[in-house]
Parts: sequence; structure tokens; C-alpha cells
Amino acid sequence: MTAIADVFPSVVPVPEVREPGEGRRRIIGALTIVLGLFIIFVFGFGSVSGSHSVVTFNPINTSSGAPWGLSDLTVLTRWWNVVLGLIALAVGVETWLRRPAGALARFGVGGVMFFLALLLWSVRQPGPAPIGNINLTSVLVNSSAVIMVLIYGSLSGVLCERSGVVNIAIEGQFIGGAVAGAMVDSVTNSFWLAALVGILVGGLVGWLLALLAVRYVADQIIVGVVIVTLMGSISSYLNIQVLAPYPNLNIGNQPSNVAIPLLYKIPVIGPTLFDENMFFYVAIALVALISFGLFRTRWGLRVRSVGEHPKAAESVGISVARVRYTTVILGGAVAGLGGVAFIATQGQFQPGITSGYGYIALAAMIFGKWKPSGAVVASIIFGLSAYMVQNLQNSNVPISTEFLTMFPYLVTIAVVAGLIGRVRPPAADGVPYKRD
Amino acid sequence: MRVELKGITKRFGSFTANDQINLVVEPGEIHCLLGENGAGKSTLMNVLFGLLRAEEGEILIDGKPVNFANSGEAVRSGIGMVHQHFMLVPVFTAAENVVLGFEPTKSFNRLDHKTANAQIHELSQKFGLDVDPDAVVENLSVGLQQRVEILKALSHDAELLILDEPTAVLTPQEIEALMEIMRSLAKDGKSILFITHKLKEVRAVADVITVIRQGRVIDSVRPTETEGQLASLMVGREVNLTVQKEATQLGDTVLELRDVVVRDDRGLAVVNGVSLDVRAGEIVALAGVQGNGQTELAEAISGLRSVESGSITLRGQNITNLSPREILDAGLGHVPEDRQRDGLVLSMSVADNLVLNTPRRAPFARRGTRNLSAVASNATELVQRFDIRTSSVESTASSLSGGNQQKVIVARELSRPLTCFMASQPTRGLDVGSIEYVHRQIVNQRNEGLGVFIISSELDEVVALGDRIAVMFAGKITGIVDPSASREDIGLLMAGATMVSHD
Ligand SMILES: Nc1ncnc2c1ncn2[C@@H]1O[C@H](COP(=O)(O)OP(=O)(O)OP(=O)(O)O)[C@@H](O)[C@H]1O
Ligand SMILES: [Mg+2]
Repeated sequence: MTAIADVFPSVVPVPEVREPGEGRRRIIGALTIVLGLFIIFVFGFGSVSGSHSVVTFNPINTSSGAPWGLSDLTVLTRWWNVVLGLIALAVGVETWLRRPAGALARFGVGGVMFFLALLLWSVRQPGPAPIGNINLTSVLVNSSAVIMVLIYGSLSGVLCERSGVVNIAIEGQFIGGAVAGAMVDSVTNSFWLAALVGILVGGLVGWLLALLAVRYVADQIIVGVVIVTLMGSISSYLNIQVLAPYPNLNIGNQPSNVAIPLLYKIPVIGPTLFDENMFFYVAIALVALISFGLFRTRWGLRVRSVGEHPKAAESVGISVARVRYTTVILGGAVAGLGGVAFIATQGQFQPGITSGYGYIALAAMIFGKWKPSGAVVASIIFGLSAYMVQNLQNSNVPISTEFLTMFPYLVTIAVVAGLIGRVRPPAADGVPYKRD
Repeated sequence: MRVELKGITKRFGSFTANDQINLVVEPGEIHCLLGENGAGKSTLMNVLFGLLRAEEGEILIDGKPVNFANSGEAVRSGIGMVHQHFMLVPVFTAAENVVLGFEPTKSFNRLDHKTANAQIHELSQKFGLDVDPDAVVENLSVGLQQRVEILKALSHDAELLILDEPTAVLTPQEIEALMEIMRSLAKDGKSILFITHKLKEVRAVADVITVIRQGRVIDSVRPTETEGQLASLMVGREVNLTVQKEATQLGDTVLELRDVVVRDDRGLAVVNGVSLDVRAGEIVALAGVQGNGQTELAEAISGLRSVESGSITLRGQNITNLSPREILDAGLGHVPEDRQRDGLVLSMSVADNLVLNTPRRAPFARRGTRNLSAVASNATELVQRFDIRTSSVESTASSLSGGNQQKVIVARELSRPLTCFMASQPTRGLDVGSIEYVHRQIVNQRNEGLGVFIISSELDEVVALGDRIAVMFAGKITGIVDPSASREDIGLLMAGATMVSHD
């Protein structure tokens, strides 16, 4: 038999390659430069000459023992921030000129400089008197609670949307998990049981979404919003009728932290990453597990095929409905567990405890390009900025809170507008599938 | 494998796509299905493959009745299918697409990429269909995607292979190779169901030909029938298989390309300095093997892709890098290559698709309000004129057969006053009757003084239609010849030889 390549060897030529995305890298470089200049002139020269910032590193209260101590750092705000800004500027100029493949990582460096400069600037004190200070470890430890729930939420979103179902009901699954978790923990005094019930409740809400979206081919966005409203109402009802009259159903236990030997002693990083409650570790494990599942296993290939081209999946005998059902229930379960994590970090259940993080998690999922690892990075950025938003109002910062609250959304818009390059959802995301 | 279809009836709502169809495919037989666009061929094959469920009838495999709940079962019983509209996941690699549904795994359910790639490699070798297993399908040309689709069907050692218009986008050489594969498979005792609109192919490989018209089996014939006889059996009337062209008066240049450079999605300069003129009253046909920049050139002309350098002029007006809307308004009619992606909104009705290029114009809209009765009467008229087979003008475009979808686009583009008409693969997937009609329309446009620019990888079409034939290779025009030039010469130009000028 003759091979086609033999018959017509050189018919389709291969022209020389030009690297894609060069223009985008230039833009990223320019943005990093802007960031650097902003740091230099606002955070640097914007601080009165001679003002100081004090940074401490030792956590105030530690449950499982203190890390190795670090002494406080007292710095001249203006000049430190100018240096931080110069670093961002240098990285930006390099990116602009060389347009390297790791442009985004360099933008990340700029972002970190921005974050540190903002911290220093927010606690600056005129004169050398060390009255106010910022505790870097506390900032990170406290943000890690938000980051964790965002990870649960965005993982749930990644799972569902990879199979082609938009899960806008993450907030509802959070609420369900949180109510159930608070009650079960109060009764049984076991966070393991609370987690299990949270998973079940989240999965049940996921099942409801799947039933309406897959079985009855309803519009996924509308169904999702309805489910969030439903869960919000149910939780208010339970709160008024059950939790309020019977306070011992809503005690507000918090699981103790589990310190990982030795690692927890590392300053700053130790208390943030290695002295956390079990929900934190589970979140990290889930990131790895879901990443592995989606991109390395047969199951993942099939889930993704259903999210990209359900008809093609059907044509090789994959049941689109079954895959979507199971993935959405699984996604609901992950978010339900995230709901229990709210209780684990905040104590008692109260209406509004989830404060819209289910939606921010969706933004994190988009920012993370529908990948678990990306969702983590996005959750960290959104989590940190959410924490800063909450806490900057306490310090002497002349930025209105309303403006700061916009930040995560501004970031999302910037991303969708092309900072990250082609951000492309699964092709059949949100598109109901009906067999002929 | 012996397959017998008995009394298969498939309805979509009140429309009967297959009406009591009986068909037998013997082991080792190449069985061709011939029929007009919308005759029900793909529907029948989808029923056999377990993608659609028939209302009546039964399927017997080696005498035993089967009832596939899904296509996975069909594949496991030894049926492989090449779908008319590829069933490929664009963001997956070729290997992932081929193994999808039947993936080799290692421990923990992990995909075994090595085995998968080895499988593809072996298949490529065995059938001479070269495909890079790691290439992402959306970056492949349509021709290469077709190869992946064929490999996918061959990968399960199918005893019955269904090929639904696999040759529509292949080069003549690839078609020859595919027919060779079919013959050798048949020699091994496998059965093949082959659908094509190219009568030459039918006569070359078929053992038996079944003709379907409007959902019914009309006749079963041998390949010894002439092309003319086959054509009239299929369409139910005499078909004129050659194009008649009257001499016309050449007018001014209407489409002028100067040193056009266009990059593809990967940033490659796939159109690399093309200059070409199309004058009023002539048909310029651009020949070339797919993947030599024709797609990107057409996209650039119609405004779907940006031009890096050079200029495109439409009757004196510079349209370089204008928006598609502005270019349409300047008088360009355009039939895109990928009809489902660029030509139609599949979820919209046939009527709406027929006014997609002029939705805001009178008579279809007035002061911002759509005039639905004008839209409907326009649709009714065009459906009649172009013989578009649809149950109603309100049906969605997705419910039309492939060929009828194509007719909707051609009808729409030719239904308004134009300066220049550009069509990529204008007759891809059309039956002979429709090809005759569309070719007639194209020649009429030319006679009425339009400039016509046809891009086709179909040499027959290029020679039949073109007043001048330009050949493209590696992003450049390698030569412009007369339609009377020998096919060998055109073939050489297509393979990259440059023309020696005679003056
Ligand atoms: N899902 C559907 N809903 C409604 N009608 C449909 C559907 N699928 C196909 N049809 C109709 O059934 C008829 C047969 O379509 P089919 O795709 O089988 O034609 P075909 O013979 O393969 O034509 P072609 O040569 O153009 O591919 C067409 O008239 C088409 O409009
Ligand atoms: Mg068909």
C-alpha cells in the first residue's frame, strides 16, 4: 500500500515559526513597569520622608508552638518602597525588552512587590517611634482561611465546568455545607462527621443542579441562581427556627490545628502552611488529586471530552448525561466541604457567612484558566486582596473601602481582557446537551 | 461481517428521513450509498452506529438482531464510523481523539500515552496515513483532521467500516490512498459502507451501489453504470455534468491583491506575498493542495483575519483590514470554507440564516425592527430556487443535511447585489444535481459582470469553472494558467514548481 506521504511528499510546507504571544508579553512588561512606577511614586515618595514601618514576624497566638523567632524589622518606608518599586520596574523593563516566555511569572514578582509595599505603606508612622506595626505572619495566616474556601469553591467550579455545566450555585453549596456542618459538629463534636455531612449536602445540591440542568435541560445560570436563593432561604429559616432557639445546635467549635513537625517552625511560612486545620490540608490534597484526575486519567479525559464536544464523546459511547451528573455531584460535594471549612475557621453559623465567596471562587476559576493549579494561584491573589480590603480600613490608608473592594473584580476584568492570553472556557461550557 | 438493515424508518417530528429502508452489506463488499443532499444517508448510518434510534425496523449482524444503546456498543460489535462532520475534540491531541472511549490505562486509571501513541503510530504505518499523535487537532488542516477521523474509525479493527463522505476534503492523492485502504480491507473480508457524491470514486471502488432518494431505496445497481446514469438515478432527472460557459466581456479589475501577507494562528506567514487580480466578468479559480494558505487568504479577504502587510482592494476601495461588516457592505459575497463554524448560526432557523448578511437592511428590517414576513418570504423563495431540502424554513440550520447547509450559504450570498463573489470550496459535499445548479449560478454571476474568485482543492471544479487558474503553494502564487493547461502542469505547480514565463 502506498503511503500518502510517499506520493506527495512536500506538498504542505512548514513555514518558519514565529513565537506566538509576543505582543501580549510586551503588554505584561508594560503593566509591570506601571506597577513599579506606582510603587515608587505612591508608596515610596508618597510616604513622608523619615517615616518608618515596623514589620513583625512572630505570630501573636500559636496553638501548636511558636516558630523559630525573627526579630522585628524597622524600615524607612520611603526608601524601602522605592527599592521594591525599582525591582518591579527592572523586571518590567526586562520583560518589555526581552519578552520572555515567563512573562506572567515576572508580573507576579511585580505583584508581590506591590503587596509588600502596600503593607509597609499602610503601617507607616511619622518619625522613628514604633507604635503601629504590621505582622506579616498574621496577615498570611488570616488570609489563608479565605484562600482555603476560595480553593474549595474554585475546584468545584473547575470540575463542573470541565464537564460542560456552569456551577453558579457554589454559593448555595457553601451555605448548605456550612449550616449542616455547624449543626453536626455541635451535636457530635466531630469535625470529621461534619465534613462528611457537608460533603453529602453539597453533593445533594449538586445533584439538584444536575437534575435540572442535565435531565430537564434547563438554563444552567438561571437554575444556579435559583438554587443559591433557595439555599439562602433555607439557611435563614433554619437559623431563625432552629439555631436561634437551640443555641447548642450552633456552638461554634473550631477544629484544632495540626502542626507538621519541624516544618511549622519555619518563620512566616510555617504558621501559614504547616500549622493549619485539617480542612486546609485537605484543600491542598484535593488540588493535587483533581489536577491529576482531570489531566492524567481516563476519567479526566472523558470529563473534558464531554465539556468540549459532547457529541464526539457520545459517538464513542461515553454517556454525556452520566458524566455530567457524576462530575456535578462531585463538584457540589467539594463545595459542600468548603462550606464546612467556613465553620471550621469562623465558628458559629450565621446567615451571610459565605459573603459571596462562591461567586469570587468562580472568578478565581476563570482567572485560573479552568485548571486546579491556576485556581490556587487565583485564590491566593483574591484571598489576599479580600483580606487587605477588610483590614486596610483599620489603618491610616486614604483609599475608600468601596474602591478596594473592586480590586478582585478589576483583576478578573484585566485577565479576561487578555493579560493571561487566550482564556478559553471548555467549548460546551453551559451548553445543554440533548440526544437526538 | 454481514449487516442487514430491515425496514428502517427514522422520523424527526413529522418528517420521515428514512422510510422502510432495506439494505444488505456482505462480508468483503464495498457498498456505496448514493443519494441527493438530504436523502437520508447520514441519518441511516447514524442509526446503524447507535447514535440515533429508529422508530421502526431492525438491524441484523451476521443474522442476529442487535439493538445498540449507544455507539460504544456499536464499536464493540465491530463497527467503525467516519462521520461527515468530524467527531473530534478540537483541544485534544490526535492520539487522545483516537483512543477516546477506549483508552489504554496504567495503574490508578492513568492514561497510557505511550501505548496510545504507539497505537497511532502503528495504524499510521499500516494504512499510510501519516499523523503526528501529539498534534492538537484544532491546529491541523481539515485534510489532516480527516485523517485523524479515519484513523479513529480504523483503530478498533472494525469488521464494518462506515465512511460518510470521507473524501470531501482530501487531496486526489489522499483519496487514491484511501480507496487503496478500502480495497485491501475488503480483501481481508471486512465490509465497507461508503458515502460520497463523487461518481468517479463510486465507479472506482464500489461492488454494489444503493441509491436513496427522499428517504427511500430507489435502486441497487452495479458500478458499470455510467456517471450520467448514476446521476440521473440519484436526482431523478437528467443532469448536465459539464459546465457550459459563454464568452463574456472582461471589465475592470474588481478584486486586487497586492503583496498580501497573512499569518495563521501559530504566527506563521502562511500567505506570503500574494498578488492577484480578478476582473469583472471572469472567474479566477485558485487551485492548490489544502494547507498552503488558501484558507487564511480567504479569511483575510473577507475580514476574518488581519492582513499583516500588503493591500486588498475591492473595485477601487481599499478594504484591507476593514471589518467583515464593512467588507460585506462594500459588495463582497463570501462562502466560507468551514460552513458550520463560519457560514451558519446552527441554532438559528433557515430563514434567519438566509438573511444573516443583511439583517439590518430593508426589506428585512425597518427602523430597527425586523420585518419577519419579508424574512419568511425571502426564505421561501430561496429554498425553492436553490432546492434546499428542509422540513420548513423555521427548522434550525443544524437539522439540515450537510449539503443543504451548504446550499443555504450559497443561496444567501448570491441573493443580493455584489461586486465580487468569493467562495471557498463552494460545492463541498453537494450532490451532482446541486453542483450543476451552483455552478450555473456562479457562471451566471460572471456573465452578469461580477468578478468571481473560487478557491477549490477540487481540480475538476477549478478546470470546469475557471477562466484563469491561479495555483497556490507555500503561501505564494506559483503560476497562473489557462484552463486548457494540462492537468500535469497544474499538478506540478501545486507541488511547488514555478512557472517559466514565455514572454
Ligand atoms: N436532528 C434532526 N432534526 C430534524 N431533521 C433532521 C435532523 N437530522 C437530519 N434531519 C433531516 O433529515 C434529512 C436527511 O438528512 P441526512 O443528514 O441523513 O442527509 P444526507 O443524505 O446525509 O445528505 P448530505 O449528502 O447532504 O449529507 C434532511 O432533510 C435533514 O433536514
Ligand atoms: Mg450526510
